[in-house]
Amino acid sequence: MTRNLRCRAIAVGAAVALALTACGSGGESPDTTANADGLEKTTIKVGALPIPDSVSLYIANAKGYFKEEGLTVEPVTITGGAAAIPQVENGSLDISMTNYVSTFSAVEAGKKIKLVADMYQAAENNFNIMVPKDSPINAVADLKGKTILVNNLRNVATLAVTTQLKVAGLTENDVKFAEKPFPEMGNAIASGQADAGWITEPFITATQSQLGFRKLADTMTGETENLPIAGWMATEEWAQKHPKTLAAFQRAISKAQALASSDRKEVEAMVPTYTKITPEVASVITLGTYPSELNADRLQKVADLMLEYKYLEKPIDVKSIIVAPPAAG
Amino acid sequence: MRSAQLTRGAIGVAGFLILGELVVRLWVSRTFDFPAPSVILYEAALLLADPEFLEGMLVTIGNWALGLLVAIGVGVPLGVLLGALPRAEQAVRPLLEFMRPIPSVAIIPLAILLIPEDSLMKVSVIVYASLWPILINTLYGMHDVDPLAKESMRTFGFGPLAVLARVSLPSAAPFMATGVRIAAGIALVLAVSAELLAGGVNGIGVFAVAAGSGNRMDLIMAATLWAGIFGVVANLALQTAERRLFRWHWLRTGGART
Repeated sequence: MTRNLRCRAIAVGAAVALALTACGSGGESPDTTANADGLEKTTIKVGALPIPDSVSLYIANAKGYFKEEGLTVEPVTITGGAAAIPQVENGSLDISMTNYVSTFSAVEAGKKIKLVADMYQAAENNFNIMVPKDSPINAVADLKGKTILVNNLRNVATLAVTTQLKVAGLTENDVKFAEKPFPEMGNAIASGQADAGWITEPFITATQSQLGFRKLADTMTGETENLPIAGWMATEEWAQKHPKTLAAFQRAISKAQALASSDRKEVEAMVPTYTKITPEVASVITLGTYPSELNADRLQKVADLMLEYKYLEKPIDVKSIIVAPPAAG
Repeated sequence: MRSAQLTRGAIGVAGFLILGELVVRLWVSRTFDFPAPSVILYEAALLLADPEFLEGMLVTIGNWALGLLVAIGVGVPLGVLLGALPRAEQAVRPLLEFMRPIPSVAIIPLAILLIPEDSLMKVSVIVYASLWPILINTLYGMHDVDPLAKESMRTFGFGPLAVLARVSLPSAAPFMATGVRIAAGIALVLAVSAELLAGGVNGIGVFAVAAGSGNRMDLIMAATLWAGIFGVVANLALQTAERRLFRWHWLRTGGART
């Protein structure tokens, strides 16, 4: 009440300094110094996209896995893995979701980023090339000269599609890639702006049921089978300064990943709480898998594919950019 | 008079909604996936019972208000100072004219890089964008002061400060208010855009990002509707305040109808 009045008084008077203190929105959590467990930082901000991939963060929060580690985690909605890199670099996020292709490109560009936990791995039929029902395109080879929508150029989407083009005897130069956010792809293709789209869930299900699209190809087969998609990242500096906080985060996330991969019901129950995906949709969409271990050999496949298709100029040794959790739990 | 005006407005809005409903249901929805106005209105009503959305709305409006206040606190004194010192104004003018047309939304990615504190980043871009209309209008107001009135005051032996306080400021005040009203609209654009680009814990834009990722076009439209309603209400409130405070100015300028 007084706060309200004061703000109104300021609106008339325009006393700026006072306004900063009186109307300031959302006090920021201070860096608490080491607690009983010796954590360097007990409250951390973790960036994640509001999609099923990042479910472990919310499971760990809801089930109290972070609390058990003495950690308070504040989830922050990000707008993309690549967009989150500046946010971890400047410290507005401690840890963030990232996709591996973006991460490896960033590492080659000289960014000091470390992968700290695995998150999401492709499974069958959760990254498909979709076309309208009456499209003349009936095989990947028919895509020659056509326009394919992807969420980001030179990223997982184009890489995955290119591997399928190769199987059909085409290269990325035989098609035209255009960028469009997932929510707009269905309508853009329906209106004839493009011929096909690289689409993931919940949009595969949505374009099928609402626009009658059909699947042309699963892009996660052959070279891309079980392709690691997304993980958690921190800057090298942050990981060095907060080893105990990081280990606590890794233990809690790994536990949540294990639960997510063993029980789909847990994922279905959690997804509608932090995304706008309804429970009905959550129960029918195709999900990837949730690996609980950060495995350099598995992630190496992504870096090697990127090298093969010239997304990287030089090979990256994934071992050098992961910070694996300490062996003793 | 007034009620007839309102009735006509209401008929216009209703007509638009009915037309929109028909166009979406009979034509658009055959090819596209787009919610009809009735669906959007229904979802918008439901949002009033969604604590997460309400909290987000408060965060966005809080950033908006704070950014606007800071812009007033900087823009008005700066405008008065430059208006009172023509030589300083001439020196600063080229810089102002260069900075002003830069689309403010374009500085958001830069702000994300430079300002690590999320709410500070959002308020900063709001301040930057709202500053220009306030500053420029204050300057115009200062230029528009009746020179005869200033001369008369000086003739009666009043010092420059007294002239400023008794003639220049009251005369420029309506211009400042107009600047603030224009800035209020721009500030809302920036408040939501910053959230759409940077994400965050909560806010109308953050809500729209999540709704987009969840394929809920209806929720995006409903959230946009509320942002629009807030913009209209804020504009009306400022306009009413302007008319009450500066009735004499409205009379002088012939009370242009808006």
